Amino acid sequence: MATDGFAVPQEKHMPPKTAQISATDSPAVIAARRVRKTFGDGRVLALEDASFDIRPGEFITMVGPSGCGKSTLLRIVAGLIDHSGGDMTVHGSAVTGPRNDVAMMFQKPTLLAWRTAVENVLLPTELAGAVTKADREKALSLLELVGLKDFAFSFPSQLSGGMQQRVALARLLQTGADILLLDEPFGALDEFTREHLNVELMRIVAEVNATAMFVTHNIGEAIFLADRVFVMTPRPGRLARIIDVPFARPRKPELQLTPEFNALVAEARAVLGGLE
Amino acid sequence: MSASDQIDLPKGMAGGASTRRILFNHLAILVCWVGLWEIGSRAGVIDPLFFPRPSDILVGFWRLYITQGNIWFHLGLTMAEVVAGFVAGSALGIGLAFVVGLSDTVRRFLKPYVVVIEATPRIAIGPIVIAAFGFGWTSKIVIVMLVCFFAPFVNTLNGIINVDRDQLDMFRSMRATRVQTFRKLILPEATPEIMAGLRLAMASALGGALVAEFIASNNGVGKLISTYTGNLNMASAFVCVLTLSAVGFFILRGMEWIDRWLVFWTDRERTEAVGRKRAQRWQKGGKL
Ligand SMILES: Nc1ncnc2c1ncn2[C@@H]1O[C@H](COP(=O)(O)OP(=O)(O)OP(=O)(O)O)[C@@H](O)[C@H]1O
Ligand SMILES: [Mg+2]
Repeated sequence: MATDGFAVPQEKHMPPKTAQISATDSPAVIAARRVRKTFGDGRVLALEDASFDIRPGEFITMVGPSGCGKSTLLRIVAGLIDHSGGDMTVHGSAVTGPRNDVAMMFQKPTLLAWRTAVENVLLPTELAGAVTKADREKALSLLELVGLKDFAFSFPSQLSGGMQQRVALARLLQTGADILLLDEPFGALDEFTREHLNVELMRIVAEVNATAMFVTHNIGEAIFLADRVFVMTPRPGRLARIIDVPFARPRKPELQLTPEFNALVAEARAVLGGLE
Repeated sequence: MSASDQIDLPKGMAGGASTRRILFNHLAILVCWVGLWEIGSRAGVIDPLFFPRPSDILVGFWRLYITQGNIWFHLGLTMAEVVAGFVAGSALGIGLAFVVGLSDTVRRFLKPYVVVIEATPRIAIGPIVIAAFGFGWTSKIVIVMLVCFFAPFVNTLNGIINVDRDQLDMFRSMRATRVQTFRKLILPEATPEIMAGLRLAMASALGGALVAEFIASNNGVGKLISTYTGNLNMASAFVCVLTLSAVGFFILRGMEWIDRWLVFWTDRERTEAVGRKRAQRWQKGGKL
């Protein structure tokens, strides 16, 4: 493996044992039952009753035009906002606020400008308590995992946009959360960098046994990355269709040229229909 | 940006020799100016009553600093007013901004007052303050405080309000406490703006103290200037003004230096240097 330097203790990525105690008939790590969200005293329906189960280790992508509620759904799972109705459970317990087993990454790198790359990666550890030597080594090995071994002591201003997002990705993994929420993480980057990072992301998420929800505007990207694609439509935000993507992993970029792949693209496009 | 940026001598781009030559040129031009002034004054082209001869000013320096030595007391007093007023005013400004900035309700309630105060020239309250606090140094400090309050207040408030929403969400998603979010995100994020506010405040602090002394005072450099001018002792008045130029220069330079040291990440060279230092500290296993 190209990343033998990766020395993250695996148990950190396992769901917390306590999560299993709660009564649930589903093995899903994330379970939504008619989850809805309204803004402005119920005037704006941002997300209409969404129901789904996400299994451990699944890579879910969410695609749809602007305003269809992708970020809203993600922020509900992250516990950053309350939902207006329905049940949202993670690891069998209801989501009531931000939690340790869920971590989120944004379109902007949101790095702290006064911290070096490795100090940024250590932030979640620092917020949770004292930083040990093992934490420091983990941070360095995560930087290596995302290909920034030689930039541990660079400040964000010294890094390109793509490298900054790699640091943000390392920080995301440093949390030890096994559910990773990624809201258009590479959306602000150029196409080449984005494709490259997408492939690496797939590899890394598989390597740390994480479950991922990944938002994108690009249908091809959504299908290429996903085990299942959530196709969403706006006004009101609705989870319109879930498309299974059966292709084996690891996937090569050439996959995108096959008729099977394009059939799925066509299916997603049909759902998004008149929405250009 | 600031006045002191403009008088910055060009950095030695082609090595020390070129810097020294530029410095020499500046000096030569200065000497020419002073020489022309002296000659013009002696020739009767410039009225020495209002524009004293450079030689007279030089003598004035000798008198005020050495033989009479009276400027030390007044300068000390004025500087004490400036420092005390600046510290108190900006501390109040920054402190209040944190109280206001971290609470939406307080902010909404205070907004109209802020708008009114911002539009009011602070020095206009000077005579009222003097009426209330007397001729002594207390009233001067209060006036400097008023002058120094607003820029740090507004800048700190802006710094707090402009913290990126995603960054706040990021901290929230990592379950940071309020104190952690403040210490590790809001405070450092607002520091460049706070420093800019402090630099503005410092730049006006000296002026505030002087105007206060002009209005009503028995002591201080401002009082000294108005007394000398009243006695048509222009050379001595010029000595005071030139002294204040020097003081102002060093104060602004000092603030700039603190700014550069504190807000290192906006400066490329400093960023690189700090990066190297942190790498060393890391290797030694030191605290981050
Ligand atoms: N805080 C809020 N207050 C009011 N309305 C909101 C708020 N946040 C989101 N909305 C509305 O909810 C709807 C869904 O927004 P959301 O950000 O989830 O869309 P999105 O799919 O992420 O869009 P994009 O692709 O542009 O990021 C939009 O109509 C938006 O205007
Ligand atoms: Mg969004």
